[in-house]
Amino acid sequence: MIVLDNVTKRYPSSQEALSNASLTIEQGEMVYVTGHSGAGKSTLLKMIAAIERPTSGTVLINNQNVSKLRPSALPYIRRKFGLVFQDHKLLYDRNCYHNVALPLSINGITGEDAGKRIRAALDKVGLLNKEKAMPITLSGGEQQRLAIARAVVSRPAILIADEPTGNLDKNYADDILDLFNAFQQVGATVIIATHDALGAARKQHKIFHLDHGRLTQPEASA
Amino acid sequence: MSAWLIQQSQALRLVLSRFRHNLLSTAFISLAIAVSLALPVIVYLILDSFSGVTTTLKSESNINIFLEPNIDNTVRDSIHNILASHTTIESFTFVPKEKALEQLAQTTANQNILAGLDHNPLPDAFFIQLSTLDSQSISALTEQLRTIDGVAEVQIDNAWLKRLNYLLTIGKKAMFVLVILLGFAVFAVIGNTIRMQILTQQEEIEVSQLIGATKSFIRRPFLYAGAAYGMIGGLFALLISSGVILLFNQSISALASEYQTKFSLHLPDFNVFLTTCLIAMIIGLLSAYLAVSKSLFKSIN
Repeated sequence: MIVLDNVTKRYPSSQEALSNASLTIEQGEMVYVTGHSGAGKSTLLKMIAAIERPTSGTVLINNQNVSKLRPSALPYIRRKFGLVFQDHKLLYDRNCYHNVALPLSINGITGEDAGKRIRAALDKVGLLNKEKAMPITLSGGEQQRLAIARAVVSRPAILIADEPTGNLDKNYADDILDLFNAFQQVGATVIIATHDALGAARKQHKIFHLDHGRLTQPEASA
Repeated sequence: MSAWLIQQSQALRLVLSRFRHNLLSTAFISLAIAVSLALPVIVYLILDSFSGVTTTLKSESNINIFLEPNIDNTVRDSIHNILASHTTIESFTFVPKEKALEQLAQTTANQNILAGLDHNPLPDAFFIQLSTLDSQSISALTEQLRTIDGVAEVQIDNAWLKRLNYLLTIGKKAMFVLVILLGFAVFAVIGNTIRMQILTQQEEIEVSQLIGATKSFIRRPFLYAGAAYGMIGGLFALLISSGVILLFNQSISALASEYQTKFSLHLPDFNVFLTTCLIAMIIGLLSAYLAVSKSLFKSIN
């Protein structure tokens, strides 16, 4: 369970990116964070994933107060999350297989065990036949799916995706959203940030809407 | 396998694969380190070879005993017996004062001086050749000789040995300075190399931190890389210095044989090998640690 209580984030020399945000996300839920660009979606996700600390307020992940953790404990919290970044953050100096291998190697999983899990993750996103391909040779949708494979390979309990369908045409975007649905169905908590409110609404999930850093209460869409 | 071992082998394999993929640049960096390390190694080997000479030549050093004037023959004979029974004495000759005076009078210049003397000022003397190299037993022997009745003075004839030792001390200081200065050079080369690698791997480092890599996970491969550069550089340095020494040894032996002696510079032995590699590795490790701490964790909290 993820709880944000009165979370404010202020970056140096700028206005508040997030103001007094409070929300609760239950385990196994799939939620959307919507809002125009610059509304604070990425900031909210970074707070949840323990990448940044709030200026004030508390962030609880499974009843652990992230704001109070020692910096050296943060990496271990981050491993609970599978992250799909807005800009993919794929590594272009290595092939698909080794891109997906990175989270496992951080967790100390190597060798045959890792190989099986990497191929399973690539298979899930439909890239098993591209394991030796370099990311630069992949299409935009394929790169996005590779980023998802990397996010799920260590079987995180919480999957966070920042604009996962951002630059994709509708068919690709639907594929990706289906993938996230599949992960939710096997028990993962899924948090997706998107500026595409319509696409989100269609999916009938809890929506947190951000407007200039302010959170409007979740609405169950029709 | 424990988690710790897995982490170490993971980092080591990563470093080795990076080295393999950048074989040429790894070779050049190691070579730069090797040249810096080879110089002090060569100087050390030269000094070591020469201090070998001082120990061998000690056997050729003499002890001269001058007896008190006007002692009678029985005392002289007892000293003779003591010297004859001593194991550290190779051989000795007795020169009576009359004979010493004769020898002195053989030159005309001395004759004039001696003519003005009314008695023989020279003492009887024993000239001793030693059979040992060990400076401790030599000084023990001198002490013992000094206590013998009738012995006025014991002189160790090793002035030139002292001079050589002073020269070697100067050489050792020069080597020490070289080690320090070139140690800094190696430190800088490895540090810069690691900083460059951090730059080229900035993306990987950033992503790794975002998805939960600990600082030590990120730091570890760079530390291994620093130590490995040091070690490879050390090995190359030994090859270079061995090559240089072999190159010079032919001519040096030829020169030495002209003086009827056998002399050649030593090749690096196991101790030199171990010391060079260890020092280089430690410098590499420290340098990498500094580079990583300075430039790695600046951007991301």
